Amino acid sequence: MAVRSIGEYKFPSRSRQELYGDDQLVHLWWKGNLWFCAAACFRAPKAMSWNDFVGGMVNPLFSCDPEFDAATTTFTWTVDDKPISPAGDESLEALGVGHKSLITCVAA
Amino acid sequence: MAAPRKLSMKQRYAALTRDLDWDLSYVDEDKAYPYTSFEGIKIHDWSKWEDPFRLTIDAYMKYQAEKDKRLYAVLDSFAQGQGHLQLTDPSYLNAMKLFLQGVTPLEYQAHRNFAYLARFLNGPGPRFAALCQSQDELRHAQTEIHTLSNYNKYYQGMHSWQHQHDRVWYLSVPKSYFDDAVTAGPFEFLIAIGFSFEYLLTNLLFVPFMSGASFNGDLPTMTFGFSAQSDESRHMTLGLEAIKFMLEQDPDNVPIVQAWIDKWFWRGYRLLALVSQMLDYMLPRKVMSWKEAFELYFEEQMLGGLFPDLAYYGITPPRHVEHAIAEKEVLSHQVYWTLYQFSFAAGFTTTIPSEDAQKWLAEQYPQTFEKLYKPLWGKAAAVVDNGGRYFYQGLPQLCQVCQVPMLFTEPGDPTTICQRHTEFEGERYDFCSDGCQWIFEREPEKYVQAWLPVHQIYQGNCGGPTVPDVLAWYKLQPGDNGEIAGNLEQTAWETWHATSSAEEQAPAPVAGN
Repeated sequence: MAVRSIGEYKFPSRSRQELYGDDQLVHLWWKGNLWFCAAACFRAPKAMSWNDFVGGMVNPLFSCDPEFDAATTTFTWTVDDKPISPAGDESLEALGVGHKSLITCVAA
Repeated sequence: MAAPRKLSMKQRYAALTRDLDWDLSYVDEDKAYPYTSFEGIKIHDWSKWEDPFRLTIDAYMKYQAEKDKRLYAVLDSFAQGQGHLQLTDPSYLNAMKLFLQGVTPLEYQAHRNFAYLARFLNGPGPRFAALCQSQDELRHAQTEIHTLSNYNKYYQGMHSWQHQHDRVWYLSVPKSYFDDAVTAGPFEFLIAIGFSFEYLLTNLLFVPFMSGASFNGDLPTMTFGFSAQSDESRHMTLGLEAIKFMLEQDPDNVPIVQAWIDKWFWRGYRLLALVSQMLDYMLPRKVMSWKEAFELYFEEQMLGGLFPDLAYYGITPPRHVEHAIAEKEVLSHQVYWTLYQFSFAAGFTTTIPSEDAQKWLAEQYPQTFEKLYKPLWGKAAAVVDNGGRYFYQGLPQLCQVCQVPMLFTEPGDPTTICQRHTEFEGERYDFCSDGCQWIFEREPEKYVQAWLPVHQIYQGNCGGPTVPDVLAWYKLQPGDNGEIAGNLEQTAWETWHATSSAEEQAPAPVAGN
């Protein structure tokens, strides 16, 4: 159903990808860990490698959890519900991460 | 010639609202009232609008002036007698900061939109009722500001509420809610604000704040509450009259009104998530739990009392209401846990609930608190014991519709965050619940424009890329935000109490406000 309005009603999204240049918004959710009240939202380059994403964004956030240890905590990962097995050098884009994608991890 | 007999109040009301109206002869009615047809609501006879209060301007002004006089007398004596030192604890004022930042600007917005209705509704009866409500809302905004300005001299977090309402992340929740309402047509606004907010949910908003004030030594806010109460009951009556009027005018109006009830119940309920944590966590001396308030003011009074009456017109209880009922066990805990982690960026402070408070929470929520939330607070306390304080090192994913961080859990599974999304014109949009997703899918063109604070920060529109940049853009000052323990306000309070008992000395205002 469309908006009922007094005239034409058409406006662009205020969060569309082009507003972020070569970057995009990426959501990161540690499923099952209620220490984090909600999934996080990052602005990340599409070409960012998985290793850089983990080192620069995932680990600093997860380190707020005193039970997290970047060296020993291992995860299984999905991007928008599709399982991924990142090796490290692939870009986020190559792993199927799009604008506002949800990257989910579950502690193994 | 004998002097004309003085008219009774009822006759004066009729003269004012009916006799002063006239039939248009120079312009067509739809040119004079151009906004009452596009929503699809059909009105055949505007004179069928019944205003049970039948107020006239002189009577209205007399009542309001008397109430103002009483309120300002209380405010004066409170200020002169250092009444603020009688609060249970300065942390109580976090509830009032939230009220001033989040609710007072909505009163002003309501004033503006009711003024618009007072011009643009076709019938003189509803125009006059809207005019009175418009003036009430302006008076409420003013009296709330004056009531709380006493505290601004001594406490943090109350100096830039208007500025913050337009900028700060959690205040985008009430702001976007009202923006949604005032950008709708006049009939949807009447259902959104007149009915859903002022009737369906009003007791859940106002009673907790005003009872919280009375339980925690805040005489000015309690007096404000009494002063607003008679207006609020008039607003409730207007909301109920508005919905009955629409439903009685044409059967085609019923499905339109039902969809608005479905939408605005959920919009309002999500807004009240902020009230739920206020009742269960922010008040030092508790009034009642959110669960108890929800059961009394919503389940009993509305689902049990109002909706059986509305069934006569073919109206059913709001869509997704079962999710709200199920959430009463978990809502306030999830919301305050979120505010605890993000209060470094808020105009109020948070802390770990005391042992007594946790005991009370366990009693109120026997099925959930000890199992799900007490362990989290224990873990947060261990961080404090190690010299730290847990703040979320990042920004949260937000719901596209309610704009609350996506903290709510799956219906029936309090350990899994609820994630919903919809693709619209090639872009993905995220939602916290089935309710918000349903609202988006009804009118996606409206919600794609949402000014989501997190996305705006990442676009560089909020003062700069770092947290201090954003906090400066929010106009947060030291002591406004973060942890309660050791906060400027808390230490000032302790000093005032020590000196006032020793030397009867009046406290000095905190610099910067």
